[in-house]
Amino acid sequence: MSATKASRIGEEIWKTRIDKVNAELVTLTYGTIVAQLCQDYNSDYQEVNKQLEKMGHNIGMRLIEDFLAKSGVGRCANFRETADMIAKVGFKIFLNVAPTVTNWTSDNNQFSLIFDENPLADFVELPDDGRAQDELWFSNILCGVLRGALEMVQMQIEAHFVSDVLRGDDTTEMRVSLVRYIEDEMPPEEE
Amino acid sequence: MAAPPRHVSMLSISNSNSNSNAGTPQSTSSEKPQTPQPPSTPQPTSGLRVPSNRKTIYDRHLNRSRNAESSRASFAYLFAEMVAYAQRRVKGIQDLEKKLNEQGYPLGLRLLDLLFYRSTSTSSSALSSSSTSSSPPNRPLRILPLLHLIHGPLWRLLFQRSADALEHSVSPDTPNEYMITDNDPLVNTYISVPRELNMLNCAAFIAGVIEGVCDGCGFEAKVSAHNQPTEMWPSRTVFLLRFGDSVMEREKVLERAGVK
Amino acid sequence: MSYYFTILSPTDTPIFNIAFGTSKGGGDGIARFRFPDTAQYMNQFIIHSSLDILEEAQWTNGGMYLKHIDTYPPAAAYISAFLTPSGARFLLLHQPPQLPTSGSSSVLGGSSLLGSSGSTTRASSSSVAANPTSPQTEEAVRQFMNEVYESYVKTAMSPFYKQGMEIRSPVFRTKITAAGKKWL
Repeated sequence: MSATKASRIGEEIWKTRIDKVNAELVTLTYGTIVAQLCQDYNSDYQEVNKQLEKMGHNIGMRLIEDFLAKSGVGRCANFRETADMIAKVGFKIFLNVAPTVTNWTSDNNQFSLIFDENPLADFVELPDDGRAQDELWFSNILCGVLRGALEMVQMQIEAHFVSDVLRGDDTTEMRVSLVRYIEDEMPPEEE
Repeated sequence: MAAPPRHVSMLSISNSNSNSNAGTPQSTSSEKPQTPQPPSTPQPTSGLRVPSNRKTIYDRHLNRSRNAESSRASFAYLFAEMVAYAQRRVKGIQDLEKKLNEQGYPLGLRLLDLLFYRSTSTSSSALSSSSTSSSPPNRPLRILPLLHLIHGPLWRLLFQRSADALEHSVSPDTPNEYMITDNDPLVNTYISVPRELNMLNCAAFIAGVIEGVCDGCGFEAKVSAHNQPTEMWPSRTVFLLRFGDSVMEREKVLERAGVK
Repeated sequence: MSYYFTILSPTDTPIFNIAFGTSKGGGDGIARFRFPDTAQYMNQFIIHSSLDILEEAQWTNGGMYLKHIDTYPPAAAYISAFLTPSGARFLLLHQPPQLPTSGSSSVLGGSSLLGSSGSTTRASSSSVAANPTSPQTEEAVRQFMNEVYESYVKTAMSPFYKQGMEIRSPVFRTKITAAGKKWL
């Protein structure tokens, strides 16, 4: 499936099959979570990143069912197709954004998602404590979501941010690597 | 007499620019203007880096995401994680509701400022239904306009609709109690609460938002969320607002003074 | 005109201060307070002594911009106020340059005892640069306050900003300086 086709599918589902809320409610709720974690972990940002990733993993494992049900898409033929599906359908129908897929490695096992828009980070300025901009990945929950969701469809991946405009970088970029296909396990039974 | 020497004025500028030595008298002597200022507080040179386009939160228009949409599912997932996380750090439902309330509170303060900003900056006011109103909105001075602000504009900002009911306690013992009802609160509809927490009302988070709005406006209040299901609305929630004595006292004074 | 602008938290903690001078009527934007040695202390003192009046005005006038609320004759200082709905107060102290006009001479008489000295101004007496209570000034201050409010809301919207925290962002300071230059 081509990237353009995936975009079309994403748009179509977003328009017709998704219950909407005010995007700011999502933004503010997420901001509250991150700020609370930073407070609870005394600005140990490494730990906050870890916790966010864990939360995301939790979400991803549940979200994939919803994704498959709403999108009706089948198994992807390869990791490239998976990437488009994540960016143009997954992100579109859950966050109403469609990051760019780029920077593939030659073995087609690693790509980047570039976020022109990141609704999670709207209104956010990181703490001016000389560390947050070096240590905190504000949107790290997204890495966990991808890991959790793909795990449920037999893909072990690793995802991490490599840059973030909140840190003063020019782009917000997440690097996603395929570790392996989990072939020796059955997909989880539905319901 | 001549004007004060310019360098003295300059010094006083640079002093007042370092903004955290509030209340400390300056010890600058005009006889010795060359004496370097004691670094009462170092000028806060921010360590925050900005992207090369120099965009910061100050460059983003506050109305930019005003009509932006996201999925209800994303909100539900995030909110459920917030509840689960809070649950791991407290004992019992009461503590949990308190924690959720505390997380909502600062949000209430933020939303209050955002609401008023939006109604001053645009011709179609976020605080009134009339799209022609262009005069800036008033801060609520009495309880009733405050409640209308919550029931209408705040609810619309958060949930894209008004709340379902607004009532005053009928009991003569509790004239300080008001109720705002939501028949189908978003925070409860999509959140499946673990069985051992079936008394939990996640709307405690929204109660915290309301409390922040009340407090911000100068109406000290305790706000709690209560399940009051009906056959038609199984997750119907009543937010109970209890205003403090000082608020009720002021209310009387303002009433006598004819303040609306 | 010299200005001292401060933001107080709802519990009266100063979270931002800045001093600047008029840019209107050919002003150079530099503050020249009448008692430069004690200006910072005096300005804060004067502002704090207007808080009672502010608290009264707060419950009779539901506007955010309360205009000129108080005058402190010994220093010829005028205070204008703006209240955010969440309880932060923006207070602007204006101190006109000493004019050789009869209206302000009694005020000046008091202050010259304290060793103040005269200065002149190019601005006319009704302009923003000279008259703190003229309608033009009230309007200019309103515009200034509204711009500050916008930047303040942007600060407060960040999940890491907690009410009452000092605002240290240099970008915020730049925005306020620019607003002062534009309107005052």
